[in-house]
Amino acid sequence: MGRIVLDHVSKHFGELQVLKDICLEIEDGEFVFFVGPSGCGKSTLLRSITGLEDITSGQVLIDGEDVSDLPPSERGLAMVFQSYALFPHITVRDNIAFGLKIAKIPKAEIDAKVAEAARILSLEELLDRKPAALSGGQRQRVAIGRAIVRDPKAFLFDEPLSNLDAALRVQMRVELIGLRKSLQTTMVYVTHDQIEAMTMADRIAVLNAGQVEQYDTPLELYDHPENLFVATFIGSPKMNILDIEGHDPSTLNLAGGQVLDLPGSPGFQEQRPACLGIRPEHMTCSKNTGLWEGEVVLEEQLGSDAFLYVDVPGLSRFTVRGVGQRGIREGDKVHVTPDTEHCHVFDRDGRRIETVDRAADVDA
Amino acid sequence: MSRLVRRKALALLGGMVIMFIFTAPIIWMFLASFKPIAQIFSIPPVWVPDFGHLGNYAKLLSENWQFLLNSVIITLSATLLCMVISLPAAFALTQFRFRGRNFFADWVLSTRMMPPIAAAVPLYIVVNSIGMIDTIWALIVIYAGFNIPFAVWVAMSFFRKVPKEVLEAAELEGCTSGQTFLKVALPLSKSGIATVATFVFIFAWNELLLALFLTTRAAKTFPVVISSFVTTSMTFWEMIAAATVIQAIPTVIFTLLMQRHIVSGLTMGAVKN
Repeated sequence: MGRIVLDHVSKHFGELQVLKDICLEIEDGEFVFFVGPSGCGKSTLLRSITGLEDITSGQVLIDGEDVSDLPPSERGLAMVFQSYALFPHITVRDNIAFGLKIAKIPKAEIDAKVAEAARILSLEELLDRKPAALSGGQRQRVAIGRAIVRDPKAFLFDEPLSNLDAALRVQMRVELIGLRKSLQTTMVYVTHDQIEAMTMADRIAVLNAGQVEQYDTPLELYDHPENLFVATFIGSPKMNILDIEGHDPSTLNLAGGQVLDLPGSPGFQEQRPACLGIRPEHMTCSKNTGLWEGEVVLEEQLGSDAFLYVDVPGLSRFTVRGVGQRGIREGDKVHVTPDTEHCHVFDRDGRRIETVDRAADVDA
Repeated sequence: MSRLVRRKALALLGGMVIMFIFTAPIIWMFLASFKPIAQIFSIPPVWVPDFGHLGNYAKLLSENWQFLLNSVIITLSATLLCMVISLPAAFALTQFRFRGRNFFADWVLSTRMMPPIAAAVPLYIVVNSIGMIDTIWALIVIYAGFNIPFAVWVAMSFFRKVPKEVLEAAELEGCTSGQTFLKVALPLSKSGIATVATFVFIFAWNELLLALFLTTRAAKTFPVVISSFVTTSMTFWEMIAAATVIQAIPTVIFTLLMQRHIVSGLTMGAVKN
């Protein structure tokens, strides 16, 4: 079992409040990600769960038990660090067995557990080497092995893949997903890499300045960001944001005298729309016809996709995603059209205003 | 080209002169230890002595072997005692956050600012009053004590270098602070420990003044014996030479053994790696 509940957790470093009244529930067996910009408190939050950081107020509950005052070793958690944090003076075998030896488990049992972990992580050949003789990916696997053998209630990962090169990261990601399937244990994972979060998470907590901005499934975060921060943070390239200068029930007045009709009748009332967000893939780009006319100032060609940066005079610079796009080049005059079914509208405080697409989902 | 060669030759020559200045007394001492007293001052000098002449050593050791043994026991014990006290202290000062930690660390260092000899008379009175004059225990405790501040400070610098995550990983794996210290911090700090141990060893092995004050006969150390060869009536140069060679041997061996560690230890923390 490994149900983790954070109940009004706050943390101060002197005057500075790094965690602000955080409430989160992580279900048993769930794979939860903490994402956010540098300094948002995501690592501190993870370290508060492990007990490596004391919290100033609130409670950390594991399976209903308040562990806020327990030392890290008594919380039944295992952590994998970004820097691997292996013990460099002992072999891989001893690294994996380290915690078991400290706990004075019988030797036969230790050997069996180490062998099992080595098998799962394909480390059998490396057991008698020292960490210095391993590659980055192998070291990280040893760190994971050290965590597995202790049968923890939950695994905590602090940016475990960010020291690896791109190809290895993809491979380790696949291995982690497989590991997670076979272990069925709660995992909490801190990363600044959205792709890791989107591809692996059951739920993602987006943190900003010590607060949880939104805690939801990856697709829910992407499709229905609750506020402007989440909208611009999740998704790469970033969502296009336009200022709204005025509105009537179904039409938005944008900068440069442009107007945009939203389908249905959103019926904005007390919430005054202030920003309009459109994801790059919800814009189309054509040489012939379209809503707004502009010029391609930059083309990022990835082969499968192309990201076109289009300057529309008086309005904004848009990022447009074209799938298999080949025909349009830098400097071309083009027309861009937003898909009004997939627009996001936010009020002056950055909060989401529900428009048509949510209503459509509810109908369906 | 020839200018370059000449410059290199000059530099080499200069280096050799300087080396000669520093090594000449040691070489003279080494050679003299194999000569009878008459040969040491004979003119013309006897450049190469009969290395089979071991009379000086035989006489020296047969009369003074127990003082050499004192020196060995006192030095090893003091080094060990100093390490046993200062390494955990340094680990605690770097790992635990407690009120007055920095003050405590500075205070430890401040005791180093006093020259040991300034404490000689007070130490004599204290040691005498508890009846430990002329015992090796007094010297062991005092030598260890004088080196603790230095040892703590150097040890702190190498414990700080152990990655924080590795210590945290040990904590998460269930280690107590003591286990973290013994199983992780110490093995990762071997170079630093070797450096500190070498310095403490050399201090204790070569210390003369306190030993002179605090011993009379039973606990006399080897440096005190050497100093006793200078008497009001004459100076026993052949004895001094042989004794100094013996005195120098452990330091040379110890330093050679530890050299690799000392070099990495002394430059440790100098640059970010």
